[in-house]
Amino acid sequence: MQEEQRTEAEERLFDILVFLATSARGCIDEPPLYGPFRLVDALSRLIDVYGHVPGLKKDPFLTEIKAEIDGKKFLVMSDPEGFKRFLDELVRKFTVELKRRSGQRS
Amino acid sequence: MEVLEAIRGRRSIRKYKPQPIPDEVVEKILEAGRWAPSGGNIQPWIFIVVRDRATLEMIRKVSPGYLGTAPLAIVVCSDKQRAFQVGGRLGRDYMTIADCAMAVQNMLLAAYALGLGTCVVKSFSPIAVREILEIPDGIEPELIVVVGYPDERPVVPHRFSIEEITYLDKYGNKFVRKGP
Ligand SMILES: Cc1cc2nc3c(=O)[nH]c(=O)nc-3n(C[C@H](O)[C@H](O)[C@H](O)COP(=O)(O)O)c2cc1C
Repeated sequence: MQEEQRTEAEERLFDILVFLATSARGCIDEPPLYGPFRLVDALSRLIDVYGHVPGLKKDPFLTEIKAEIDGKKFLVMSDPEGFKRFLDELVRKFTVELKRRSGQRS
Repeated sequence: MEVLEAIRGRRSIRKYKPQPIPDEVVEKILEAGRWAPSGGNIQPWIFIVVRDRATLEMIRKVSPGYLGTAPLAIVVCSDKQRAFQVGGRLGRDYMTIADCAMAVQNMLLAAYALGLGTCVVKSFSPIAVREILEIPDGIEPELIVVVGYPDERPVVPHRFSIEEITYLDKYGNKFVRKGP
């Protein structure tokens, strides 16, 4: 049988889709805080795609965000309050960046 | 290594070195699992050792809680059908889970004593794992033990103190240490 040809980008995205599908089902039975954990983990995985897909070049802001996520996501298990603070800070950083990209100053 | 030292020092590892694990080491881990206690000595566990790279990758991809790549995983399954025949509903629905957990803890401690890191994973898709490993009906994948040489030293997670989780003689009665 002929091997199907797939680009690296297609493979990476497919893996994330599998992650999202299995997470969606898992979240029905898992602790409520695992939902935000999976979403933020998905964020990190999606950021990984930048730089591997033609037209999506590595983005310094997102690279920094990814490092922060990977360093702090496990707070969900050891320090739920700290995890919440980390998500608040993440949202704040995204918003500041959103404003900057929209041409406004924060 | 002292058992107490292993109990205290073991941590869930989520970053591993790619270095493969020799067969005789894997066998020692399985041996530790095999000697776990089980209700009525049913020994409902079945261990599927996964070391084929492509299969490992597939298992990881369908397991949102499987973080970090490792050279080996042991999928601990229970034989629900046999457990029901021998132990009835209690055997099938409760004992199998407790028994597999006992086997898993033995394996975690043995692996730690052998210089390996592990992580128990429950956040996996049983439907997908069943499909990938061709697990037949009546056999249930319970837990995945990810195994590899550790590439991190995680912070020690919180534990409740003995006083917070222990009562003496009856519920609610403070546990007090006897003097020497
Ligand atoms: C039944 C069970 C299921 C677990 N499932 C997962 C999991 O899916 N993913 C994960 O990263 N850790 C999992 N863990 C590991 C726990 O998060 C970990 O044991 C706990 O945070 C305490 O950390 P320690 O093992 O380093 O002491 C599981 C542990 C147990 C006992």
